[in-house]
Amino acid sequence: MKLINYIRNENMKIYKRKRTWVLIALVAVFVILQIINVRAGDGGTAAADWRSQLEQENHRLAAEAAEPDALQIEIRQAEKNILLNEYSLQHNMPPETNAWSFAGDLSGNIIFAVSLISIIIAGEIAAAEFVSGTIKLLLTRSASRTEVYTAKYIAAILFGLGLTLVGLLLSLLFGGIMFGWGGLGDSYMYVKDHTVHQTPMLLSILGSYLFHLPFLLISVTLAFMVSAGFRSPIFAIVIPLFVSVAGFVIAIAMNGWPWTRFFIFSHADLSGYFLGDPAVKGMTLGFSLAFIGLHLAVMHLLSHTLFVKRDVS
Amino acid sequence: MPLLQIRDLTKIIGRKTLVDHVSLEMEKGEIMGLLGPNGAGKTTTIRMIVGLVSKSEGQVIIDGIDTSQQFSAAMGKVGVIVEQPDLYKYLSGYDNLVLFSRMSPGVTADRLKEIISLVGLEQSISAKVSTYSLGMRQRLGLAVALMHKPSLLLLDEPTNGLDPAGIHELREHLKNLAHKENVGILISSHLMSEMEMMCDRVAVLQQGKLIGVHRLSELVQEDDTLVQFEVDRPELAVQVLQAFMSGAEITAGHNQLRVRLPKNRIPEISQKLLDSGISVYGVNTVKRTLEDKYLEITGGQGH
Repeated sequence: MKLINYIRNENMKIYKRKRTWVLIALVAVFVILQIINVRAGDGGTAAADWRSQLEQENHRLAAEAAEPDALQIEIRQAEKNILLNEYSLQHNMPPETNAWSFAGDLSGNIIFAVSLISIIIAGEIAAAEFVSGTIKLLLTRSASRTEVYTAKYIAAILFGLGLTLVGLLLSLLFGGIMFGWGGLGDSYMYVKDHTVHQTPMLLSILGSYLFHLPFLLISVTLAFMVSAGFRSPIFAIVIPLFVSVAGFVIAIAMNGWPWTRFFIFSHADLSGYFLGDPAVKGMTLGFSLAFIGLHLAVMHLLSHTLFVKRDVS
Repeated sequence: MPLLQIRDLTKIIGRKTLVDHVSLEMEKGEIMGLLGPNGAGKTTTIRMIVGLVSKSEGQVIIDGIDTSQQFSAAMGKVGVIVEQPDLYKYLSGYDNLVLFSRMSPGVTADRLKEIISLVGLEQSISAKVSTYSLGMRQRLGLAVALMHKPSLLLLDEPTNGLDPAGIHELREHLKNLAHKENVGILISSHLMSEMEMMCDRVAVLQQGKLIGVHRLSELVQEDDTLVQFEVDRPELAVQVLQAFMSGAEITAGHNQLRVRLPKNRIPEISQKLLDSGISVYGVNTVKRTLEDKYLEITGGQGH
């Protein structure tokens, strides 16, 4: 009960600032940019000659995958797209973008963008109070330091989750306006073990957001760790931003290399387990979850200790 | 039971001892000043009492509750203003109050109304704190510190940056609280005249050590008063007085002399001077200020 009040306080401090709403508006801008991107590509609707287009695309994908400098993840992705295109050709299903498929396809991008924005909030949530001096009042009320720490972390995570939901809803809304809301009853097609599988559309959207959440969790916790432990908002924003972007890029570039099983950002996207190709062959979902849990625990152990023990002067 | 008990409070950082076995007791309704030069350990002492700075050694008991064992319960009895009243500038005054009321049990919306009118912020309470003057922020800080009806109020250099009107206002608030609502107030400052006007007792810190706790009335009012006579022939006057009151310490200056004596002897001494043919142009009693006494206690080291 007490903790709920403290979380309400943290929320009040987040949402009563204009700056927060500018950050939230950035997500809308991001979704709109993605729509422009799709529009500029195939326009979102199937052209009359969609069959020849798909065939051309398959040729191009095959050629790209055969290049000597192709990344493992590119080769796998190309193979999947070729299979999906062939499936469409066989079953005479022109590829179409609608609100649902758009929102599902965007999940990874949305969570990436939301994570970077949430880093700003999480990086400030503790450190800014040390800079402004308000921490002195906060820590001399009836709340323990652990309660203040916990409330701040939960508020930062809630912001990230809330912003993810905003991103999902906006992509459904804008996607619907641009591409229509039809196709909810369609199945979502995906490739697993070299064959095409189907799953209900809503389930696929929910799943793809869920599988990408570890990235949000890791980057927000990292920002919060620096914020609460080291009390510098600048470091708490810049370092996690850099680490998250670098981690994201390295995880893609090094996908499949055995050592990446011990690289936290290789566990940031769990969808591989449900599509039959984990980031490293033989790696299990349990290992990934445990590895993520270990990182979160170590980060909290460090920053909580510093937050609770260090003097405020 | 004393309101605040501090036992052997010590802070050591590296090889430096910032606060060295300080022990103090304070009663309800009392205003105690913590005096000392910069770096004497005043701020560190207050921050250790409220848990912002950890104790290397010692114990703090507030209203019978040991802060190391029941921090939350002890803090429920304490109101704090540390230096500037740092509040959330991007929130309104009222939002600030709501926020801190959620962190202290038992503060109702009615109580908030009451405290707003007590500090006289009815007009501006819904405006953002960034638009407040320093005096208004100080008042809002006082409202935050007092909303949960603490029995102990701790203030660290609260008059820093306040204008004379703001200082006067704060002083009246504090006196009222102590003497009408029985709140104990511990206030640190290096402003001697401020402390003299406010405090019942002062504790003097020097280089982390408590070198004395004095009742202010004892300090500045003593049996003997320093009396200054303005005369035309001071050398002669000194001779007359030395003969008349042997052993008295008399200092002479340009057209004046000073002697320490009980107030009721002033007419007698004046008469003696006049009888000896010395013209007396004026008689003044020189009041000893807290500052004089402070310099005496601390061995004349400036603050």
